[in-house]
Amino acid sequence: MRRDVLLLVARQFWTSVFKSKAIYLLLGLTLILLFYAAFSGVSYHEQNHHRIEHQQQARESWEANPDKHPHRMAHFGTFAFRLKHPLSIFDFGVESFTGNAVFLEAHKQNVVNFSEASYSTSLIRFGELSMGMILQLILPLIVFFLGYAAIVADRENGTLKILLTQGATWKEVLYGRALGLFGLSCLFYLPFVFATVALLLMESYTADVWIRLLVILASYLLYLFIVSLLTIIISVGSKTSKNALVKLLGIWLLLVVVIPRTSQAVGSFLYPTPTKLEFRGAIEEEVIQFGDSHNANDPYYNFIRDSVLEVHGVQSINELPFNYPGFQMYVGEKISTEIYVRHHKELLDQYRRQNQLTKWLALVNPYLGVKGLSMALCGTDLETYASFQHQAEAYRYELAQAMNELQIKHIRANVTSSEGKVNVVDREEWKSFPDFTYEYPTVESTLGSELLALISILLWSVVALGMMNYWARNASAL
Amino acid sequence: MYKLLFQQFLRTRACQLGLTLVLILGGISIIIGKQFLTDQGRLADQATQMQQEHIERNVKLHGDDLSLLLYYLKFALLNETDPLAGLSVGQSDLNPGVQRIRILALEGQKYDSDLVNPTKLLYGNLDLSFVIVYVFPLLVIAFMYNLFSEERESGTWQMVNVMARSKSKFLLGKLLVRFLLLAGVMLFLIGVGAVVLGVAADTAFLLFTLTALFYLIFWFALCFWVVCLRQNSNVNALVLLTIWLALVVLLPAFVNNYITNNYPLPEALSTMIKQRDGYHVKWDTSKKETMEKFYEEYPQFANYGFPSEKGYSPTWYYAMQHMGDVESREDSRAMQLKIRSREASSRMWAQVIPSMQAQLVFNEVAGTGLDDYMDFLQYMNEFHENLRLYFYPMIFSNSEVASVDWGQFTPEVFTNSNKSINWTKKLGSLVITILLFSVLSIFSVRKLI
Repeated sequence: MRRDVLLLVARQFWTSVFKSKAIYLLLGLTLILLFYAAFSGVSYHEQNHHRIEHQQQARESWEANPDKHPHRMAHFGTFAFRLKHPLSIFDFGVESFTGNAVFLEAHKQNVVNFSEASYSTSLIRFGELSMGMILQLILPLIVFFLGYAAIVADRENGTLKILLTQGATWKEVLYGRALGLFGLSCLFYLPFVFATVALLLMESYTADVWIRLLVILASYLLYLFIVSLLTIIISVGSKTSKNALVKLLGIWLLLVVVIPRTSQAVGSFLYPTPTKLEFRGAIEEEVIQFGDSHNANDPYYNFIRDSVLEVHGVQSINELPFNYPGFQMYVGEKISTEIYVRHHKELLDQYRRQNQLTKWLALVNPYLGVKGLSMALCGTDLETYASFQHQAEAYRYELAQAMNELQIKHIRANVTSSEGKVNVVDREEWKSFPDFTYEYPTVESTLGSELLALISILLWSVVALGMMNYWARNASAL
Repeated sequence: MYKLLFQQFLRTRACQLGLTLVLILGGISIIIGKQFLTDQGRLADQATQMQQEHIERNVKLHGDDLSLLLYYLKFALLNETDPLAGLSVGQSDLNPGVQRIRILALEGQKYDSDLVNPTKLLYGNLDLSFVIVYVFPLLVIAFMYNLFSEERESGTWQMVNVMARSKSKFLLGKLLVRFLLLAGVMLFLIGVGAVVLGVAADTAFLLFTLTALFYLIFWFALCFWVVCLRQNSNVNALVLLTIWLALVVLLPAFVNNYITNNYPLPEALSTMIKQRDGYHVKWDTSKKETMEKFYEEYPQFANYGFPSEKGYSPTWYYAMQHMGDVESREDSRAMQLKIRSREASSRMWAQVIPSMQAQLVFNEVAGTGLDDYMDFLQYMNEFHENLRLYFYPMIFSNSEVASVDWGQFTPEVFTNSNKSINWTKKLGSLVITILLFSVLSIFSVRKLI
């Protein structure tokens, strides 16, 4: 391939597109969509302010507690408000369908509530308009529209023959047009890059965020590359421009509308999840196997009590050097938390299995590949949410056990009631227990769980190049 | 002539491919609907069975202390699922259909969400309403975009010019063939769905079917108008697909983003905090003060008096719990109002966007919209209060656990009965858009000939 010929063909394609007014209309519409999506993204992200504010408010009332029995504080509990990832302005992912606030207290793993979808009308099921969504869904259509006739129309009107007799090779024509089309798609893509970078520069973010952004931007670039090549391939392989257009639109519908929904439906059908009643029921059943840690006469805990008494060589818990009910709750919390965490992990694994089919289909559907990768890197996928749930639960456990430890240490041995101002711990203790903070997963772990999507995009680039080369050898000008 | 047009159309690949696709998707959607209804039924059975076991076990465990027993006891409230929900799942896959309520502060329990896979929710349900709202218009476009242009492009238009008695009748004939075929397939799918899911043949079902039919007619009218504008097939295909994209993807997303940004709900978070503080802080404040506030709410219990400031009292405990609800009431109400405004706002927008209108009407008749869920939550307040008012006097007077007839507490089923169908509001806007495009088409057909 000669570089100058390649560029010449590309430039010629570029200018022919700009001869029509349609391109300006499309650019204008895309910019409007971009503006609206960026605005929505930023104002969705602004909800973090509410959440930080409420986190502080919840903390203030936690610290404002007077001297109290620690078990009262274990039930006073606190909240974890989920903060949106800085990159969530770019791709909303499952954000709107995941809970945002959870009450953390002793003995009880509350669900994370108040997802945006739970108080949205069913319009939310039509999809949300984010920058990522425009790039995944709309931009390919625009590329199809600009490029469907790129080769086939020239064949229809005979210019292709002239071009080839003038000395250009098929390879140069195909790659030249593809380059021109890819260049055009980049023209549409660049404003998105600028907008995202500009929005992120307004705050100071860690290197992790920027690495994520870099991978996201690179993968969208590859995605557009694939889409451009695919358009040229379909164009060269079709008899008429109408055929090329219908094929491309059909492919789009199949890849973007039909396959994702169907595969997710099949996945959910194959791997049913327990109802909440079953889930809670199963945990309760297992916990009961051990016994009730609030019950002073429970057989399992009686056994523990007797062995504790034996070790300390005393007759009753009143003679122990520490508060025994606190110790019993400490043991109970440990057992019930272990059971809950195990069940919750099983549930998450079942969700992962439900999603597995869709993830594998990324290998044949680059849209799913880029969508999955984009969600994961923007911190708006299931795994990021799972990490929040995990951290909130870990914090809850620490809180409950810290209160139990305070009770064991500071409350007299024979005290069983937590009421009133008699058996209390100094309020300074509340302050010294740190507030909940959420750490996002690192970019390494995210990329690790999205290997399939990464492979999909790279694989498709190679496949598309291979198909280009095939047509460069086998295409006919007639 | 119609018979020939029919045969000719049935032989095209677009027709065969399109019909196969929609029948497969329709079939899948009905299976999914059936699955959904089965799951809901299973849930109701579990709730009933569990409630009984749950009460029996706890009565045995805490049989000597009614106030302690009621701290543990949960009473289930079920949201009745209409079989139509299998055709239009709406929001009922993410909003819980059953809630188990204790007579403690309600605000901390009311919004407990279901366990759902968020990725599944993101990709959405493949129910029949999706097939009708998304897929059928695509078939209309695929069948219609070259209705006129193919004759011109393949050179047969001249023949039609010479042979047909009326060219507009010829075009309308082609249109009718396509419409009858798609309407037939759609009614067939709805019919099969209704039989499989056990939908009753009532006015709700009639409204569902009519909405689907009118929505289909709307697309035919729109496409007919566009194809009569004399553009070539490629332009038609692009224009129609862009319209489809705008109507079923971009505009709903636009409106949804707008509503989300316009009605943010920080009240949800503040309700949570106020509910907790409203109750918990009372452990450290004067018992008399709490009781006074409680008696203000329920003067009928004032004769139970004030407990001693020292030590624990069940009356005081349940009064404290109730304070959680009282002190978060304002925020909770503000939140309810805002959520209702969200629904009202989307309904208003839907009047001018047929795809949204169709989806919202489907969900409304199926009882799976946001409003229906809000009605359920509102009823939950009543349900909770009834339970409390039933148990309060027994707790306050230290009644025996055995004195309560526990058998009566089977899960309560909420049926939304205050629904009346306003036909003009539901179908009016669709009819108007159909008329609009029909009139436009008449003008452009005239020019064509």
